[in-house]
Amino acid sequence: MNIDLVATAIALLTVFGIASIIALSLNLEYGLGGIPNFGQALFVAIGAYTAGVTYTRLLPLLAGQAALDPCGATNMAPALALRTGILKTMPAVALGNFALTLVIAGVIGGLIGLVASYPALRLKEEWFLGLVLLVGSESVRIFVRGYEPIICAHNGLSGLSQPFAWLPTAQIRSLAFLGLVLVAAGLCYWYSERLARSPYGRLLKALRENNAVASGLGKEMSRVRGQVMVIGSAMAAIAGVFFVVNVGFASANDYGVALTLDIWVMIVLGGLGNMRGALLGALIVTLLDRFTSIAAIQLNMLHIDIEFNYVRYILFGVILLVMLRYRPQGLWREPVETTGVGAGEPMRAEPRV
Amino acid sequence: MPIGLLVDSLTTTILVGSLYALMAVGLTLTMAVIKLPNFAHAELITVGAFAALIVSLRLTGNPVAVLAIAFAVAALVALLTHWIVYRPLGKQKSSTYILILASFAVGLIIRYLLFLLADTFNLFDKRIQVAQEVWVQAGPLTLTNIFFWVVPTSIGLVGALSLLLNFTSLGRQMRALADNATLAKVVGVPAGHVINITWILAGGLAGVGGALWGIYTFVDPMVGWLAILSVFAAVVLGGLTSFPGTILGAFVVAFAENTLMQALNYWVGLDFSFKPAIPFVIIILVLLIRPQGLTGLFAGRRRNAGLER
Repeated sequence: MNIDLVATAIALLTVFGIASIIALSLNLEYGLGGIPNFGQALFVAIGAYTAGVTYTRLLPLLAGQAALDPCGATNMAPALALRTGILKTMPAVALGNFALTLVIAGVIGGLIGLVASYPALRLKEEWFLGLVLLVGSESVRIFVRGYEPIICAHNGLSGLSQPFAWLPTAQIRSLAFLGLVLVAAGLCYWYSERLARSPYGRLLKALRENNAVASGLGKEMSRVRGQVMVIGSAMAAIAGVFFVVNVGFASANDYGVALTLDIWVMIVLGGLGNMRGALLGALIVTLLDRFTSIAAIQLNMLHIDIEFNYVRYILFGVILLVMLRYRPQGLWREPVETTGVGAGEPMRAEPRV
Repeated sequence: MPIGLLVDSLTTTILVGSLYALMAVGLTLTMAVIKLPNFAHAELITVGAFAALIVSLRLTGNPVAVLAIAFAVAALVALLTHWIVYRPLGKQKSSTYILILASFAVGLIIRYLLFLLADTFNLFDKRIQVAQEVWVQAGPLTLTNIFFWVVPTSIGLVGALSLLLNFTSLGRQMRALADNATLAKVVGVPAGHVINITWILAGGLAGVGGALWGIYTFVDPMVGWLAILSVFAAVVLGGLTSFPGTILGAFVVAFAENTLMQALNYWVGLDFSFKPAIPFVIIILVLLIRPQGLTGLFAGRRRNAGLER
């Protein structure tokens, strides 16, 4: 077996960068804000669906051509040819379309995050928000799978390629995209870290640790949490755009509970509330994913016919349970904050898990 | 709307509603007594469906035996998840979110184990072998033997469970735990024992629900997950911990998904691909407008967290 090391490294780093953004978004929401978002896959999916719409409607418009209906047996091939043709020959249009997609996805993601957080203002029990988000994400997924105009229902939509398809060789293309992903991931990390260390971050932690006390001090939990939902959801939707153009294919089935669980595994592994931990978790999950798929290929070559994709999910479930049971604070636990007064006495004893 | 469509959708409502009720009462029980929103309940349903399928393919087609084994296997799996996962996590005082997350992980593990099983023995999209025959044919009304098995079995089991809750000492202990766990333990309710039995009942009923669902439609590793959204909608509509509320909620959800959907399709032209959004709409509306659900509509002003009668 001959592995192209450079290409593998580029691919892995790209996936890691995208996974980092997604993990950071959930870490902001749950790790920092204490919002149990069990539907994060929905917000990633919003990015993918936005890309599905912009690549088929906005892209031809920007290139000054008529949009074709991308679905159906007869339209599929010409619409795909139209997309790839524009992406390959018109760099400015490709990049402009991608930038617009990022902006639109971020805005829609943020708006839906705001709408989704609204019930939280009135819920009797806190975990209801998790339920609403979970059911919402599953309902949207099942709906998109049956509703054609977004990504051609269950057929999915192909040809959502990276914005660098006009560059000459495959290696340069993937390198350019990797650069873009890493810049985006770096920005998200910088922003999350700044947020976590700011007074606003301390307010979030206070609400997470003991919202009765924080509310008593006049901090309104629902509003602050709504704001965090907007930030986290927008970030996840932007990551979703990167995610889908990296795969090149949009399918509603990619954004189910399994994806949500993957994201949770990342932040629980890495360390709740710790932004570096989220990166670590994203790295471990990316590598594990890669190793299991390599192992699957190797086993299939030995004629051990086992669907390794299933084993991967079982493995992730077990990892999650073991972490929750034996190291709920994660591999890289949230640093304890000190005030600087009182000889470095911690402000609080244990991060809540 | 043509009378045929109406009657058809109404019989489906009754059929599906009684199945939802059967699946949902177990969830209500875990929610009330154990205080755990168990998302792995979906997989208990699937486990029951697969147990029934394997028994009916390999051993016997006797419906009573099939359902009994589905009950036993799903109850065993429920008990194992309690012993291996939830009890240790509960002992280290994990928050509700952590327990929910753990229940997701448990569900994921079971689901993909079932995928492996189905893959190895080629069990995808199989039906539980029951010859379908028409028993009642009167005008637009067509009832098959499946209707006459599913509906009385479900309603019978739900009824038996409410009798158990209301008129036995075990039921009283469960209600005591649901109302105030600390107080119940102080007065000597054997909490561990009662919780084990709660898991057996919740898992077993989910399993029977899954088996009946498999008879009604088909068996697939995703069966439970596809049903769980509607089941959660029923439970939320019922006020989470109320028994009659849950049962009523199950029928309301089934009605919305079948008759109402059919009517909207006929009158407004709403596509059937919108059907999965119905549980979501119900959950959102209930949580926004009436978070206590249907409870309190008939039980006066009693709106406590306990397992209402």
